[in-house]
Amino acid sequence: MLQREHNPASPSRFTEEVSRQYATEGIARAAPLTLPPQPPLPEAKAARKIGAAVLIGAVTALAGLALWRALGRTATQQPAEAHQRAAQRLNASAAILSFSVFADSAMEHYRGAFQNPAMYVAPLTSGALLASSAHAAFRPERLGFAGKSLCAFALAIGTAGFGFHLYNLTKREGGIDWLNLFYGAPIGAPFALALAGLTGLAASRLVGQTGATPVFFGEPAGRAIAAASAAALIGTAGEASLMHFRGAFHDPFMFAPVTIPVVSAAGLAATLFRPRMIATARRLLQATVALGLAGVGFHLYGISRNMGGFGNLSQNLLNGPPLPAPPSFTGVALAGLAGLELLDA
Amino acid sequence: MSGEFQSRFPGYNVLDKWDSPSWNEQTRRVIKDRLENVPERRFFSEQEWTTLHAICARLIPQPDRADAPVPIVPFIDKKLHNNEGDGYRFETMPPMREAWQRGIAAVDAECRVRHGTAFAELPDNLKDATLRAIQHGDVRSETWRDLPAKKFFEIMLRQIVSIYYAHPAAWTEIGFGGPASPRGYVRLGFDRRDPWEASEAHD
Amino acid sequence: MTDSPRAKDGRAPDVFRAGGWIPMRCHRDQDEVDFVIVGTGAGGGTLACKLAEAGFSVVALDAGHFWRPLEDFASDELHQQKLYWRSERITGGDDPVTLGSNNSGRSVGGSTVHFTMVSLRISPDRLKSRSRLGYALDWPIEPEEMWRYYAEVEDALKISGPVHYPWGPPRGRYPYRPHEVNAAGLVLARGCEKMGVAWAATPLATVSAPRGRAHPCVYRGFCAIGCSTNAKQSALVTWIPRAIAAGAEIRDLAMVGRIEIGRDGMATGVLYHREGEWRRQRARNVVVAGYAIETPRLLLNSACPMFPNGLANSSGIVGKYFMPQSNHAVWGTMEEEIRWYKGPPCMAICEHWNYTHAGKDFPGGYCFLSQGPLPMEWSHSVAGSRGLWGMELRQEMAKYNHYAGLKIVGEVLPQEKNRVELADEEDELGLRIPRVIFGYGEEDKKLYGHAIRFMRDCLDAAGGKDIWPEEDTAHLLGGCRMGTEPANSVTNADGRSWDIANLWICDGSLFPTSAGVNPSLTIQALACRIGDRIAAMASRGELSHPARAFA
Repeated sequence: MLQREHNPASPSRFTEEVSRQYATEGIARAAPLTLPPQPPLPEAKAARKIGAAVLIGAVTALAGLALWRALGRTATQQPAEAHQRAAQRLNASAAILSFSVFADSAMEHYRGAFQNPAMYVAPLTSGALLASSAHAAFRPERLGFAGKSLCAFALAIGTAGFGFHLYNLTKREGGIDWLNLFYGAPIGAPFALALAGLTGLAASRLVGQTGATPVFFGEPAGRAIAAASAAALIGTAGEASLMHFRGAFHDPFMFAPVTIPVVSAAGLAATLFRPRMIATARRLLQATVALGLAGVGFHLYGISRNMGGFGNLSQNLLNGPPLPAPPSFTGVALAGLAGLELLDA
Repeated sequence: MSGEFQSRFPGYNVLDKWDSPSWNEQTRRVIKDRLENVPERRFFSEQEWTTLHAICARLIPQPDRADAPVPIVPFIDKKLHNNEGDGYRFETMPPMREAWQRGIAAVDAECRVRHGTAFAELPDNLKDATLRAIQHGDVRSETWRDLPAKKFFEIMLRQIVSIYYAHPAAWTEIGFGGPASPRGYVRLGFDRRDPWEASEAHD
Repeated sequence: MTDSPRAKDGRAPDVFRAGGWIPMRCHRDQDEVDFVIVGTGAGGGTLACKLAEAGFSVVALDAGHFWRPLEDFASDELHQQKLYWRSERITGGDDPVTLGSNNSGRSVGGSTVHFTMVSLRISPDRLKSRSRLGYALDWPIEPEEMWRYYAEVEDALKISGPVHYPWGPPRGRYPYRPHEVNAAGLVLARGCEKMGVAWAATPLATVSAPRGRAHPCVYRGFCAIGCSTNAKQSALVTWIPRAIAAGAEIRDLAMVGRIEIGRDGMATGVLYHREGEWRRQRARNVVVAGYAIETPRLLLNSACPMFPNGLANSSGIVGKYFMPQSNHAVWGTMEEEIRWYKGPPCMAICEHWNYTHAGKDFPGGYCFLSQGPLPMEWSHSVAGSRGLWGMELRQEMAKYNHYAGLKIVGEVLPQEKNRVELADEEDELGLRIPRVIFGYGEEDKKLYGHAIRFMRDCLDAAGGKDIWPEEDTAHLLGGCRMGTEPANSVTNADGRSWDIANLWICDGSLFPTSAGVNPSLTIQALACRIGDRIAAMASRGELSHPARAFA
């Protein structure tokens, strides 16, 4: 480097100005700091968040309770009545599951621009099943051949959908890896439709059964339904785990749907071996019913936290947490409760 | 280099999203200012202004907007008037204002050497040929002696395209989504398009 | 844009709320604070936080504005040039570096306010390139230690990265999950799969889920001109609010012109220009964190009778061994619509050539990333690098939605002749402006030649047509390198200058080698380490002794 460039003998305009301003040298030690009074930092948001969550939870739990009351009172000793109530519960379960699938697949396949015409099948099937099983939830005996066929069709479509989604994953760059599990077609989602169909079929078998409880897959209906519901709860919790892992469990409440349903499933499974667990299992399933409804509230809150909040719904409904997803817990838990109804009869 | 410009995105205009969630208040403010307040001539001489207009008309021809071309020269004038640099200057170049004044004069001088008239007076084919020669540093005028022609052309072209492609009309013509906040995009994959993006014509 | 400072009178802007404020502890100029830090970017912003949280009194000065992204950042390339360092600098040498937009920042938060958020670790071998790979020189820090600090920064920024990173030794899981990869990134993925090399979703400092008051990324794609969503975890929205909460004072629109030296040869504080006048902030320690041009410029501009060649320059290498990174690209058109304006610009990465040595004719390393330039930036490539103009340019630009590209971040080897020095001209404050001299070496040319060939094949394999290459540089490193010998370095491994015990450097200028990855994560890791080291030294009473004793 050129010596000239650092020659202090040729002061720049800067150094002249500075030396004018600071003619005196000398280093003063610091006077003790006098600080202006510090207003508290806005840290109340955590408390507000928890408060909001508790409120949402309470409201939705009440709603769940009301739904529960509407769909039948506690068990009685009459098999026919128990069958009737179980059928109602199962149809309600099918209705809620198909609602969840209908809304979710309609939104997600819309995001996918219905690129493949087959993408219309899921929302159409689940929409039809929603109508049919909602009706059957109040009048189970009215479910005719067409309704049963629809249930069977949904079961088949749900199973096929799994194949479609799996194929979609494999043809994406990276194949079956975390990225595609997060953002590709959801592997578990079509099972909800299959489950809705299966639940509807089970309900139809119970209707009008005055004598012995029917047998599903070699087991009394109550045991079969309880076992299947427990498995479905685990599967649904698995999907929630994957999606909440994608969201990095950034909010502690995101652990709720990966714990409560699993404990419920364990309680439900336990009733198969220890009938005195029924009361506990029922409480757990009721909690799961409420959880599914509370989840909608949490997801609404999640949407509000995205950029633009509710003013940017064309983006946030799709990119935010999915509103229709949590009620599938409610649907599956209702099926489990129907199983308990039969076991208790 | 003439010919017509064919839009691949008929019916699309980023400005249609002005009131949508794709635009926020500060962006509307900035773009409104760009569209409505085209700066007056304050820096260039009339001669420089005329020559630069003629150069811009060749570097970014806009025959499809004959009555209302995207204004470019006024924004260069404003930048030079405010002496807003880009944060660097090539060692071989004079300071920005001087470079533009001398460069524009040199373009005219080059045309006089080659064709005996100023740039703006030349027919389009000779304008283009001269610009291409300057772009490649193939110059004859003495005025380029301590002003590297290639470098000047590069700086001038970069500035002109910067202003053109900062205009909503240019965003529209290339099918760019334009401003995007608070709303961004949802569909990111191959051949995927949100409803608020430009739809491409397929022939 | 306002030209009066915002951070003063006991408050600073709340970056998460339009028009909002947070309380800030303020010092008087005559108070002697523990640390005055020049610059608030990846180096200075991070260090301000670490030192304030360690209990030191800290004043950090920045020449730029203190923005509130939600209300100040428009979706417009021209307007957002307000984020760049646009004061005059002269660039020369055989391969003059284009300065300004792509390698400078002038804001509280520095260039992290507009960086592309690519957050990579330098491989352990590259940190010891002399002893392990036989080229350039070793960093004076053990790789294991650097990697612990990488983890600290990744957590502080909640980096969204792949569940499994395909290269290098195992690292902990990234705090947030990767983003969905856009089509531009999938082009890289497709090409890499055809070429038989690994690829990954890029670890990015933009959150894929909410974090506190920061919204998750909305994939608006304007990252490189400032994030108006606050998803980007810049120093402005991470370290700075933390620093202020811990008691640090940030002063915006405060341009430091000189470091002052007392009669004992120690730094006594800085002279800075704010609100139209020169002021002095006294401090027991001065930290320079102005990045690879402003840091050497300030040290050289602070020359005084005791240090006539500039501060910390007894070795004579302040400003030397300056390194940009090569940033060469290939571009091509795809059959599919890519629409690369959506999502962060670099969503997919291949670090193969940072970790593989076979098949190379050069010692350094590089990574390459998918791209998503906005229209104005893209026009610079099509017009500037490719030389198109006229109707040909407009027609080529109209293919914008079908373009895809790959770009390297390539290691440039240190050479003494590449340097930052002072020019004779002065800026509007009367400070001599810097001149940057750069030319590639033979190994650098081999590296980018290899990269262009490989990426061309990769893009071709992915289905790219009409592929063309472009030359560019990015990131500015070195100039005040750290080392183990006072004769050939400016500071020790702690950023403490060899010559003046209470003068520190904390930014990219410390890099002894440039490595083939984006530097911001490394700068922040260095800053975290320097912060911890200073706190440890202070607790042992070693702060007032010369650095040489602790080399």
